[in-house]
Amino acid sequence: MVRVLDRKLLRELRHQKGLLLAITTLVAVGVMCFVYMRSAHRNLKNAQSNYNTQCRMADFWIDLKKAPIAELQDLAELRGITELRPRIQFLCTVDLPDAKEPINGLVLSMPDRRTPVINDVILKRGDYFTDQRRDEVLVNNAFAKKHGIKPGDIIHLILNNRRQELHVVGTAISSEFTYLVGPGAISPDPEHFGVFYLKQTYAEEVFDFDGAANQLVGLLAPELREHPDAILRAAEARLKTYGVFSVTPLKDQQSHRFLSDEIRGIGTFAGMMPIVFLAVAALVLNVLLLRLIDQQRVVIGTLKGLGYSNAELFLHFTKFSSVIGLAGGLVGWAMGYQMSAWVTQIYQTMFEFPELKNNVYPELYLIGMAISLTCSVAGSFRGARAALSLQPAEAMRSKPPAEGGRVWIERIPMLWSRLSSGWRMVLRNMIRHKARTIVGVFAASMGAAILSCGFILQTSMGYLISFQFSKIDRSDVDLTFKDERGVDALFDARRLPAVDHAEPILDVACEFFNGPYRRKGVIRGLMPDARLTTPRDIHEDRILPPESGVVIPRKLAELMHLQPGDMLEFEPIKGVRKHCRVPIIRLADSYMGLMVYANIDYLRGLIGEEQAVSGVQLEVDERPEAMRELTRTVKRLPAVQTYVSRKSMIHNLNSTLVEMQNVFIGIMVIFAGVIFFASLLNMSLIGLAERRREVATFLVQGYSEWQVGGFFFRETMVTAIVGTLLGFPLGYLLVFWLTKNYDTEMFRFPLRTPPVVWVKTFMWGLGFAFAAHVFVQREISRMDWRDALSVKE
Amino acid sequence: MYCFDPSRTDRFELDFVPMTQENSAHELLLHLDGVGKTFRMGEVSVHALKTVNLEIYHGEFLVMVGPSGSGKTTMLNIIGGLDQPSFGKVWYGDEDLSNVSQRELTRYRRETVGFVFQFYNLVPTLTARENVMVATELVKNPIDVDEALRLVGLSERSNHFPSQMSGGEQQRVAIARALAKNPELLLCDEPTGALDFETGKKVLRLLVDLKNTLGKTVLIITHNAAIAEAADRVVRLRSGEIVETHSNPHPKPPEDIEW
Ligand SMILES: Nc1ncnc2c1ncn2[C@@H]1O[C@H](COP(=O)(O)OP(=O)(O)OP(=O)(O)O)[C@@H](O)[C@H]1O
Ligand SMILES: [Mg+2]
Repeated sequence: MVRVLDRKLLRELRHQKGLLLAITTLVAVGVMCFVYMRSAHRNLKNAQSNYNTQCRMADFWIDLKKAPIAELQDLAELRGITELRPRIQFLCTVDLPDAKEPINGLVLSMPDRRTPVINDVILKRGDYFTDQRRDEVLVNNAFAKKHGIKPGDIIHLILNNRRQELHVVGTAISSEFTYLVGPGAISPDPEHFGVFYLKQTYAEEVFDFDGAANQLVGLLAPELREHPDAILRAAEARLKTYGVFSVTPLKDQQSHRFLSDEIRGIGTFAGMMPIVFLAVAALVLNVLLLRLIDQQRVVIGTLKGLGYSNAELFLHFTKFSSVIGLAGGLVGWAMGYQMSAWVTQIYQTMFEFPELKNNVYPELYLIGMAISLTCSVAGSFRGARAALSLQPAEAMRSKPPAEGGRVWIERIPMLWSRLSSGWRMVLRNMIRHKARTIVGVFAASMGAAILSCGFILQTSMGYLISFQFSKIDRSDVDLTFKDERGVDALFDARRLPAVDHAEPILDVACEFFNGPYRRKGVIRGLMPDARLTTPRDIHEDRILPPESGVVIPRKLAELMHLQPGDMLEFEPIKGVRKHCRVPIIRLADSYMGLMVYANIDYLRGLIGEEQAVSGVQLEVDERPEAMRELTRTVKRLPAVQTYVSRKSMIHNLNSTLVEMQNVFIGIMVIFAGVIFFASLLNMSLIGLAERRREVATFLVQGYSEWQVGGFFFRETMVTAIVGTLLGFPLGYLLVFWLTKNYDTEMFRFPLRTPPVVWVKTFMWGLGFAFAAHVFVQREISRMDWRDALSVKE
Repeated sequence: MYCFDPSRTDRFELDFVPMTQENSAHELLLHLDGVGKTFRMGEVSVHALKTVNLEIYHGEFLVMVGPSGSGKTTMLNIIGGLDQPSFGKVWYGDEDLSNVSQRELTRYRRETVGFVFQFYNLVPTLTARENVMVATELVKNPIDVDEALRLVGLSERSNHFPSQMSGGEQQRVAIARALAKNPELLLCDEPTGALDFETGKKVLRLLVDLKNTLGKTVLIITHNAAIAEAADRVVRLRSGEIVETHSNPHPKPPEDIEW
């Protein structure tokens, strides 16, 4: 009905393009963060559960030495176990003609004919086994892609110390290996690790496992899935005679756990970050609209004087703010959808899913929109209410300089008398417009907090890698042996070509106990003078393996509620399962894994094996020809089970996990920048809009545009600097909170805050203030100040 | 009731339509009963209006004069429902405007009053025409917008924004806006303040015609004593009090006034 007012609205929206663009951006970024982070989180969560369902992912894994399949099947008698599948699994070496380094593989048996078994595969290329050959193989898809293996090819695996020729019939993926990491690795590396599925009959034959298996996967009754411990203990007890190595419930399965940890981590991020972004956007929006409408006080009074009702005017301003809220929300939707698609795509490089779809979750979009609309409408509502509560006569009078008195800072003569008149004006202004200043500072501090948080995480990530690999794990190549050979393996290793130095290690997989706390882990025995593995404390100082007792990582101590001086109880998983109690001598600090360290001789004594060595760490001559020689020799050594090159491991880690983290941190930093910049810009622009007359008066009196701009610049700078400084502690708290929540057994973020982080944040803050001012200065230059003075309001 | 002859653009005037109710000039329209207004600013109180009694009749042309700060605008605001008195009653018919709901007051402002503000108060983002439309869209029975602009001699400027117009032109838009509502009561706060002698006279003629031909009640504040000669009645304020009221049995036609 009130059509002219709508015209006014459109015209005002058009006139304030710059400001509105800045506001819309702010809201849009808030909504986008909310939509994309939560969508990506849900995408991943859904993908995980769908994939698990599709592959009929097991609820537990039991590794044992060897047991007759019939006996294993009997376990199904246990109430709560609904389905079982015995299978054969072995580590193997893959012999590819063009490989630079030895490649590790995992061999698993599958039924000869396709049936929907537990831990089934999803075929990507080719077909399932046929009846034509016995030596058919399905190759893990990522590995096949990386090495250009296709159905119809022939590959060679070293199985049971014999080089076998196998026919590739297809490539496949499975939820068991969504996050596919090889032995000793932490990031997926399909170049150096692959999974190979063999026919059950063929596997039995080649491993001499006639009618036997060494792994049992199974499903539990739904009600037991959350608490599988009791039933699994019962199962373990029944299988004792067959030498159970490990019992792994789903939640501890490597791939599943890593993925779950990651999802939980993203969930933490997605829970927190959008709220920060939205809070800033909401507050700034609120203040902006309040001020924008406050500028219309006289117009409101006039319209009311002409006979417009409060309701009509409320509606008018609600329309105005709804347009902003709607625009912000819609742009946020679009960007959120795109971002979510992109981020989901990034996850696909880390996790192998059959399909990782970017879904639209209507409720997320609606919530985002609702927040955007609510904030803008609430802002305009507050503004309109202030003006509408006045009598029209009162509203029409130009605003009384009610805050016109002295501000508190003027009562500090020491300070005040030293300020130039320009600074006095700036400070008076900032103090008088308290709400605006506070919100400006708040937005800047949040921006700075997220910025510094991003920088800290980046620094920490770098530190983590360098701490782990230049301080703790310093070997070039690690070899593990098939069984715990005597020290002669070490002499063999020393004689390998290109080896400069070799140190034996003894890794004993075991289960740790402390009262109700249990956890699986590894104790690594080190030579007293070992220099290729050197545990460290928090100051990076070396911890020598104690003569007796163990050094445990701080995280394990936390998880198991232990401290130095306590006794650590453990039971080796393989061999003689003797229960041991050892004193904890010190805590070591590390950010990856949960390795416990001991003196190798002490450890040998504990497990009662004089000369045991499980592997060897090498320092090698890294020239290519020397390495080729080493590779060739190692491939032929039957005793070697796995080969891990530190260099390619770090390289791979950098190109997967670290890369991904950096992308996410980068995104966060960019958005923090946008928030930071846009709020400063908004605050300045609104200040300018409010003070057009004042600016015009200054210009008329002969002040230059730069002088007038200077007043605004000083305000922006003060806001940015105070905000940034306040943002530092907030940033620290944010990182603290995030690292606490992101903390997993695999990864922990060290909290590193070198001064450069703060300097960088500060410089960015100043940069944003400068950039925002460029716009403001341009506005001042372009302003038609005669216009501003000629209209009586 | 009125019509427009395009050949007569030199004068801002309405065609004569005889009045139907001859005796309405003596009907009471509005009654200020002991009205006062005090503004409080911190510890200081400004008694803008002390105790004012005034009766305003239908179809009357009333002029209010007085020195700056004497309370003229304050009184007009109260009469127009733009402000509430601190004490006293404002009777409009049997309604006490100082004591009605916001909704009633809005209806009064919308349907009864046309106001020309002292500082024009045009909406800066609307053109002259749209500024008038803002008012006409509110009422059931408005004067055509272009007609209203023609009456104040601004047909040519109807698509200009306030910032593109002179003070006098802005003032005339404000007048057009008030009369376009076709209100019963027209309140003008110094409607000729920014106008030259000739234009001022034309505006005055227009207001007088509104009263004569359409039977509107017109209230004008002015600093210009000459204008008082055209009034039916003159009220003089000083320091928030009415110090003098006198009636003109024979108001001068605006054309004859020495400015
Ligand atoms: N909202 C207000 N707050 C404080 N004082 C006010 C307010 N409105 C008016 N006054 C004071 O009341 C007195 C009367 O003001 P008013 O505007 O009615 O005078 P006026 O007769 O219209 O003067 P002028 O001819 O200059 O327009 C003045 O002293 C003015 O300062
Ligand atoms: Mg006045």
